[in-house]
Amino acid sequence: MTDKIKVDARGAFCPGPLMEMIAALKHMNVGDEIEIWSSDKGSAKDIPEWVKKVGHELVSNDEREGYWSIVVRKAK
Amino acid sequence: MPDQTPDRPLYILLCSGEHEKVQMAAMMASVAAVSNRAVEVFVSMNAIFAFRKDAAADQRYRGGDFSKILKDKKAPDALTLFEQGKELGDLKVWACSMALDVLHWEMENLAPGIFNEPLGLTKFLSDAEQGQFVTL
Repeated sequence: MTDKIKVDARGAFCPGPLMEMIAALKHMNVGDEIEIWSSDKGSAKDIPEWVKKVGHELVSNDEREGYWSIVVRKAK
Repeated sequence: MPDQTPDRPLYILLCSGEHEKVQMAAMMASVAAVSNRAVEVFVSMNAIFAFRKDAAADQRYRGGDFSKILKDKKAPDALTLFEQGKELGDLKVWACSMALDVLHWEMENLAPGIFNEPLGLTKFLSDAEQGQFVTL
């Protein structure tokens, strides 16, 4: 059974959403997912780039009304 | 597949006390450190005043037009970013020993939780020879 954590970082500016996500990931188990909401345009590209670089898994990256919903699975 | 190639360490020489430059140093250091990259920051000259213990935000960060915007929009606090970089990544922050000497400051005069220890410029430059060097 994996958990899914939600972090609402809307209103935070770069690199706030990324740092909030990484801080939450630190306390998660491998296989758990985190959904982060960010209104910072850069996050839609920065977070997937970070995920690719460090070896986690990007599950989804969707633009909503005025923000992005990005789901990441902790892979290690 | 994640990129397994180790990145060159990033060395940031932070001399300016301008808010905008302190902010950029904090952003670069924290993001690089959480991206599996070793980062070292050497803080000297006017920049050391931004790290004064117990300073109010208006005194800590002085800059130009963009500084005002950063404050108005409540952008992430630079010192908080340095703290996060240390907590979540491989980030070392050194206080210039010369700057401390001329100010008659000790480590206790600096914001806690950020600095590793005082360091001389010669040692920092020697360590930085194999890395990417940025001056702000």
